Amino acid sequence: MEFRLAISSMIKFTNVSKEYKIDEGYTFFALKKVNLEIKEKEFVSIMGPSGSGKSTLMHLIGLLDRPTNGQIYIANKEISKISDDEISRLRNEFVGFVFQQFNLISKLTVFENVVLPTIYSRRSLDFSPQERTLEILTKFGLKDKINSYPNKLSGGQQQRVAMARALIMKPRLILADEPTGNLDSKTGHEIMMLLEKLNKEEKITIVLVTHEVDIAKYAKRTIKIRDGMIEN
Amino acid sequence: MKNFIFIFKSAIEDFSRNKLRTFLTSLGILIGIFAVVVLMALGLGLKKYISDQFETMGKNSLFLVPGRVLSGGSFTGSVSSVSGRFDDRDLQTLKKINNIIGVAPLAFKSTKIKGLLKEDYGDIMFSSETFADIMGLEIDTGRFFDKSDVSKKTKVIVIGSKIATDYYGSIEEAIGKKITIDNVKFTIIGVTKSKGGGGMGGFDYDKYLFAPYTTGFIFNPDKRFFRLSVKVKNENYISQVKEDIKKEFLKRYKDEEFSIVEPTELMSAITSIFSVLNLILVAIAAISLLVGGIGIMNIMYVTVSDRIKEIGIRRALGARKSDISYQFLAESVLLSSIGGLLGLGFAYLGVLLAESFFPAYIDLLTVIIALGVSSAIGITFGVFPARKAANLEPVEVIRYE
Ligand SMILES: Nc1ncnc2c1ncn2[C@@H]1O[C@H](COP(=O)(O)OP(=O)(O)OP(=O)(O)O)[C@@H](O)[C@H]1O
Ligand SMILES: [Mg+2]
Repeated sequence: MEFRLAISSMIKFTNVSKEYKIDEGYTFFALKKVNLEIKEKEFVSIMGPSGSGKSTLMHLIGLLDRPTNGQIYIANKEISKISDDEISRLRNEFVGFVFQQFNLISKLTVFENVVLPTIYSRRSLDFSPQERTLEILTKFGLKDKINSYPNKLSGGQQQRVAMARALIMKPRLILADEPTGNLDSKTGHEIMMLLEKLNKEEKITIVLVTHEVDIAKYAKRTIKIRDGMIEN
Repeated sequence: MKNFIFIFKSAIEDFSRNKLRTFLTSLGILIGIFAVVVLMALGLGLKKYISDQFETMGKNSLFLVPGRVLSGGSFTGSVSSVSGRFDDRDLQTLKKINNIIGVAPLAFKSTKIKGLLKEDYGDIMFSSETFADIMGLEIDTGRFFDKSDVSKKTKVIVIGSKIATDYYGSIEEAIGKKITIDNVKFTIIGVTKSKGGGGMGGFDYDKYLFAPYTTGFIFNPDKRFFRLSVKVKNENYISQVKEDIKKEFLKRYKDEEFSIVEPTELMSAITSIFSVLNLILVAIAAISLLVGGIGIMNIMYVTVSDRIKEIGIRRALGARKSDISYQFLAESVLLSSIGGLLGLGFAYLGVLLAESFFPAYIDLLTVIIALGVSSAIGITFGVFPARKAANLEPVEVIRYE
């Protein structure tokens, strides 16, 4: 519940590095001493060439990965100090993910995909999972698809299901890694307008990775990254 | 717990999508549980059969047989030859011992028997009036021979119900009729109640004839007995009587020339031999359970690799390591339990079929063991794949294509 309070600093990186040991004696630096801060209610885009470390950065923000060096603060909490189960809880309640490849579970229906995060919640929810799922899917124009399987949907529909799933737990932060990468430009802009609306109306902080300039324009601020370093 | 229900529900949905794979995976457990349960059922049946056989012998009896039968609770084999048979003198010795209320010697004769409808070979047991009591024989019609028949050597005979129907058509027809045993005519004074049984080396008393041993000396001129049975006053005297008999008989015989057998003692010896044999067979059958468990483990490892992407997505959505672990554990436990249930079902059918010619039955304990063992196998062999799934790094599996 503490995350519902006003948090001025949503994400803060101090000297964060991510290294990969490739061979004996050779280390690849995917991120080098990154410092950045993203405030609550911000809409930030991250841009950079392929391989520059954008996804690596997103995975660190989304608590899917841990840094090699440096500190990451999520809602003023230093993540290296919290347990694996607590991190799972933050991923469940605090963050919503939207991926380029949609990442829906193919054997579950649209409805089951969207309701899935509520299954992993360990606290009593202030909403009915079934009702909220139906409500969001209706709002996203997917009411008649609730019992369909993901492979029967178009790319734009699948991405909207993924957005619905990201929203089900009422997150304070949405991380979107090239959400329009697999969509045509019209559908891409529809998805972006949905994100924009969430930021404006529901004050959800949004971090977006893209390499398309006109997609990045939806954000109010752009962070440029190259070779694992933030450009100023 | 919503999570728990959800996990099992999704595992079952997974299986119904892959019915053939599910069946093949649980086949090992199915066969293992089938074999174990059938063998246990046969073991139980055999045990019950043995105790039923001994139950028919009257309580508080002791048997004297030539040679060594039991030593230290198990068979030693050597039942001595004809030379070690008892005689009338031994019978008199027994009669003098305190607290013995009846003595039944036993001599056999296999010979030609001629009745109204039939002439064939049959077996006659010659004994005393106590025999019916000691062996648990009951009379259907008429009477058993009594003390005076024995002392007067009357030519009376009691026949089994099967003999009555075979040689005379019915029990009523047989009563009072004459029957010719090796050219000697006997009068039928009683027919025994059918006991069924027989088979598997046990006596089928329905096919025997019983006459006083004194009359039987006609066929048994050297007055030898195959066995001496003793009825003791009550169970408190059994060990004392046993001691006394031993003391008396040692005056005439060597220790290894005779044995005093208590039916219950004999029964427990036989039962323990069969139990050990049964246990060995069950243990061999259990090896197939091990193989079945390894089969499940193998498939679970494949499942984990197949579903790396799904695991990553679930972790990104907030699943803890333990949630993932339980999901895969639930699947392996369900797989092995399905195998266990099917195995139990087939074993039940098998036992139903076997029942007509072999005593076998499944008891509650067997059911509990079968289901317990199959789910334990699911847990044991599911733990490692489940742990592998749970320990996958979320970022690795999200990047996985
Ligand atoms: N597990 C790993 N082992 C070694 N190198 C890795 C690993 N994961 C990522 N990298 C490397 O880190 C660098 C950054 O990868 P990242 O996925 O963050 O790039 P990106 O900016 O998202 O690129 P794209 O625009 O193509 O998605 C790449 O050079 C990649 O090869
Ligand atoms: Mg990327």
